[in-house]
This record gives sequence, structure tokens and C-alpha cells, in this order.
Amino acid sequence: MSIFKKFMQFSAVSSMLLLAACGGGGDETASGTEGQADGGSGVVSADIGVISYNSGPGAAYGEAITNGLKLAQEEINAKGEVNINLKIEDSAGEQDQALTAAQKLINSENVTAIIGPTLSTEMNVVGPEADLSGVPIMGTSTTAEGIPQLGEYVFRNSIPEALAIPASLKKAIEAYDVKKVAILYGNDDVLTKSGFDTMKATAEEMGLEILTIETFQKGQSDYNAQLTKIKSLNPDLILASALYNEGAVIMDQARKMGIDVPFVGGNGFNSPEVINIAGDAANGLIVATPWFGEKEDPKVQDFVAKYTEKFGKAPDQFAAQSYDGLYIFAEALKNAGDSDRDAFRDALAEISNFEGILGNFSFDEEGDVVMEPTVLTIKDGKFQEFNE
Amino acid sequence: MLAELINPYYLQVGSFMLINIILGISMYITLSTGQLSLANAGFMGIGAYTSALLTIHFSLPIPVGVVIGAIFAGLLGIVVGLPTLRLKGVFLAIVTLGFGEVIRVIFVNWESLTKGSVGLSGIPHMGRELLKTVKELGFEPKMLGLQNNQFIFMAIFLILLVIVIFVIWFFKRQNDSRIGRAFSAIKLDEQAAESMGINITYYKVLAFAQGALLSGFAGALFAHMLGYISPADFAYHKAIDILIFAVLGGSEVIWGPAFGAFFLTLLPEVLRFISEYRYMIYGVIIVVMMVVRPQGLIDLNVVKWIKRKTTRRGLKNGTGN
Repeated sequence: MSIFKKFMQFSAVSSMLLLAACGGGGDETASGTEGQADGGSGVVSADIGVISYNSGPGAAYGEAITNGLKLAQEEINAKGEVNINLKIEDSAGEQDQALTAAQKLINSENVTAIIGPTLSTEMNVVGPEADLSGVPIMGTSTTAEGIPQLGEYVFRNSIPEALAIPASLKKAIEAYDVKKVAILYGNDDVLTKSGFDTMKATAEEMGLEILTIETFQKGQSDYNAQLTKIKSLNPDLILASALYNEGAVIMDQARKMGIDVPFVGGNGFNSPEVINIAGDAANGLIVATPWFGEKEDPKVQDFVAKYTEKFGKAPDQFAAQSYDGLYIFAEALKNAGDSDRDAFRDALAEISNFEGILGNFSFDEEGDVVMEPTVLTIKDGKFQEFNE
Repeated sequence: MLAELINPYYLQVGSFMLINIILGISMYITLSTGQLSLANAGFMGIGAYTSALLTIHFSLPIPVGVVIGAIFAGLLGIVVGLPTLRLKGVFLAIVTLGFGEVIRVIFVNWESLTKGSVGLSGIPHMGRELLKTVKELGFEPKMLGLQNNQFIFMAIFLILLVIVIFVIWFFKRQNDSRIGRAFSAIKLDEQAAESMGINITYYKVLAFAQGALLSGFAGALFAHMLGYISPADFAYHKAIDILIFAVLGGSEVIWGPAFGAFFLTLLPEVLRFISEYRYMIYGVIIVVMMVVRPQGLIDLNVVKWIKRKTTRRGLKNGTGN
């Protein structure tokens, strides 16, 4: 009997705490529906939920993403065609946190649609849930295989590796007459591992001879063992699926060792930081990216100027992708004419030939990206468009 | 009325809370023999991967997968426990932390089975499978006036609640039994316990295996709740999270880690309104609490105090039984 009583005490205390904690959430719901109600005045108004990686080791990604979104929101609302209200939630880069954030946005805040989460791993968990609840969700930085295939309500506007790597590899093959390649990748990171899978498949498809496949771990600082082996095999090109911090060190050590063949990198390798870390050794890196800040497009230059003025640093691809992402949402919202989730989903799926700062953008029938990525190379210490 | 009260968000948080309570208790059991093991995250991964792989490849029902996952983790606990439990204190902690990392590296490198660091997706989801089953039996959530997702999370929450109640009940009972007394004798003084005729190795391995079994069980539930797992979920920071449940909540009584898990799962959600700063505040709260109450929030005195308070109130109002 006493056990039962003790349990009752415990559960009474805990449910009281739980109720107290939930009290805060309730108020916000009320304000959320209010925002949607003034859609009658001609301007479509909607709450858009954002799940991003704002605290923890990857907080820089989340910061760039939310900055891009805030800038886009300001501009869109100033135009007055639609009114977007952002509800930003942090996921700390963890699947369970991302899932509770999504549940909060879907059920407590009643958002029309969600942008995010930041990582593909998080999207793997959140996507099916949003799809089940009928909430359109779009990743602006999820590049892994199979993301839009999670459900009818799942979209992305970030160029998947499956689009980026073949593009850069093709140009590199044309320019350097590549026959034999070596592959080097980080096997304990989702992004670099899935990048490697794509690289291997692409290289096989293009009929290249893969001399060796070498792996390394996150945070490794000495790559001489792998590079010595690669050097002895004498490849025409090195495919490196690495994040920029490891990638830059790899290039530095490779150049010192006398390996002067070009490198083709994946999405994680694409950062101006590579030049800062590796200096001259970074010359010869080829990456395909949706985002090129030096492009002579007034829209791009305008965005770079505004972003730099507002946040004190130049935008990276994450900021650019989320900025374009919110514009795509605004366009869909305008076409839907209503903040209803299903109407919005249909309008979103029909987006095609959207002209953003990343270029001409369309969704395919699965909600994946149709877009021509720009291939960049590092030459004379800066990123330039690759045309040889 | 019912339908408005059931918000999947709260139920989701509640479900994570319950899983974390199981993890907290798994830490408590090994701690109750005075051993500091940091292998719980590794065992959690074993349970999660075992159950996920079995349900994906052999289409086993989820409950069977979860039970096999837990048992497998428990057996591994015995195998690992036998040699390592000769070590004590900080050495055991280091060895078990190493074990957890070994498990994670195996998950990363055994790509043909685990898909490496990309992780396993498409794991059958507890709630969705349950919904499918009840629909086949001709039951619709609408009969209760519920949406599909409300029904799903309601069901998950209730199932987990029953499990957690059972787990707490079981280990409360065990604590008051011969085994529990042997555990606390070992915790107080190993040599004295041995001279009293307690088979130390047996009880230490038993506690370690029970902890492993429970972690594996929680891990399997975790896998079927998220539908996706990757090796990074079971890295050392998870082990530390689990340790904090027990340390912050208090490891003297079973309510300690349970409350610790409850509190530390709730805290980040309650702190959502300060967005980027919430983990900073979370850290500050942990530091302050450890300074103020190094023995953990709930210890024997608190339990006695609550008991006294409630019995007295019960007597006054005439509701005590």
C-alpha cells in the first residue's frame, strides 16, 4: 500500500510541475492564431516555424540560418504582399530536441509551415512527424540522400550532394583529363560519409578508376599516413569528403608532401575558412555550390551588402539558402492566398523557375531541388568560377 | 474536451522524460553498489541497434525487438562486467567510458550492418505501428474524439508510463530485499560485506547487468520513438547526461535519478523562451544545485520529510489510508 501511496505523491507533484511548465506555452498559442486572423485584410499573414541549431558546437550554422531568415522576413514584410511571423526554436543539433521543437511548433504554435531543421539527421526524425501532421517542412541545409522522399510535405531548397558532386567532378574531368582518383573521407560524420557515398557512386558511374579509399576521423590532425599512400598511387585527382576544418589541414599537408593534383570537395568543404587555414595550399580545390557571393548579379550583391551591414560579416551559403528559402515560402504563401497548411503545401510544390539569389530554382515532383549549381575553384587565394 | 487537453507536444516531452527516467534508474542501480559506470550510453546503443535491426530486417513486432534488445544488452553487461568489475572508482569509470566509445566506433565502422555514421532510418515507429494495429481491429481514434497524432502520442505516453511505474516498483521491491541489502552493504564497505559472506562479484555483476539491461531497454524504446538512430546519439556526452540525472537528482534513493531525469528533461523545454541562452542557464542551474546540494536534490531526508508531511496532512483531513 505504501508504495502505491508514494507513487501517487510523486505523480501528483510531477503533474503539477508539468502543468506549471505548460502554462507558458498556452499564451503563445493565442497570439499565434490572432496573427492568422488578420488575413482578411487582404494581406496573407502566416506563422512560420523555424527549427535551427542555435546552441552547441554547430551554433554557427544556426546563427547564419536565422540571420538569413530575419533579413528576408524584414524585406518581405516591408513589401506588404504577405506578412510572415517567424517562430524560432532551437534544436541544439539533437534529434530529440528537434522533435520536441517541431511538436511545439506544430501543436502549440499552430504554424503554417516549418523551415529547418539544420541537420539531415534531425530532418530524418522531424520530417516523418511533420508529414504525418500535414505540416509542410523545408530544409534549407539538409543535403543528405533521401530527405524529400520522407513524405509529401517534406521539401528542401539546399542542393543535395547528389547534384553538387557530379557537377564539380564533371568539370574537373573535362579540364584535367582525369582517369584515376583517390578518395579520402571522414567516416564518423553523417555529412562527410553521405558525401563519400555519392562520390564513390559518381566516380564509378563516370568510369573512373578508384585507386584507394582512405578514411579519417573528426578532429584528426595528422594525415600523413593516408596521404603517403595516395601519393604513391599517383592519382589524377583526389576526392575529399571532409568538413572544411579537417579538409584545409589535409590540403596543407598534401601540398607540403608534393601532391599537387586538384581536390574535389563536398558541401562541407565549401567555406572561405579553407583559404584562411590552408593559405596557398588551398589553391586547386574544386567545389560545386549553390551560393557564390562574388557573382555579378545585382540581387546577390544587394544581399551581401545588406547582410554585411546588418550582421557585421559576409553571408555564407547557409544564410543565403535560408534567405532564399523564406522568399520561396513567401511566394507560395502569396499564391496560396491563405495560411491553410494544405493550400500552402500545394502552392509550395508548384514553385518553379523561382529567381532567387542562388539562381533559378524549381522543385521536382518529390520536393527535391532542380537547379544548376555553380562550380567554384580556389585560385590565387580566392574562390572563382571554374571555367577552363 | 479531452481532445483539446491532449497536446502531442507535451506528450512528446513527457515520453522523453519517461525514457530518461529509465536511463536515470539504470545509472542508479550500478551506483547503488558503489560502482561508477559510464557504459550506459553504449548499452543504450546496443539495445537500440539490436531492436532496430531486428524489426527492420526480420519484421519482428516491436515489443519482441525491444525485449531482445534489452536482453542482449544485459548479456553483454555480464560479459563486460565480469572482467572490468575488478576495477574500482575512477578506473572503472575510465574503462566503461572506453567501452562506450568502442561500441560507438563499431557502429560507425560496421557499415554493412549499421550503415555507419549515416545512421539507421525507417525504424518502425511505436505509435504508428500501434495505430495501424488498432485500425485493423476496427478501432478509430475518432471514436474517442482524438486526432491520429493525439492518439499516437497518448498511447506511447501511457505505455511508457506503465513501464516506468513497473520499473520503479520492481527496483523499490528489490531494494528492500536481500539483494538490495547486499548492494548497499557492498556500497558501504566491500571488505566488510565480503567478510559477512556476501558474494561480491556476483552482486556487482548483477547490478551492472541490470543497469545494462535497463539502458538497452531504454535505448530500444528510444529507437522506436524517433524512428531514426545514428552512432552519434550514443557517444560519451550521452553517458554524461545519464550520469547527471543521477548525480543531480540524488543517487541515494530511486526517486533521486527519476526526479533528476524528469527535471533535466523539462528544463530545456521550459527555458525555450530564452532561445540561444537556454543551455547557458541550464549549466548555471546545474552548477548552483551541485554547490547547494552536493548529495543531489532528493536524498533520504527529503523522502522522509515528504512522507511525514503527507501522512500528517492525511491524518488531519481524514483521507489517510
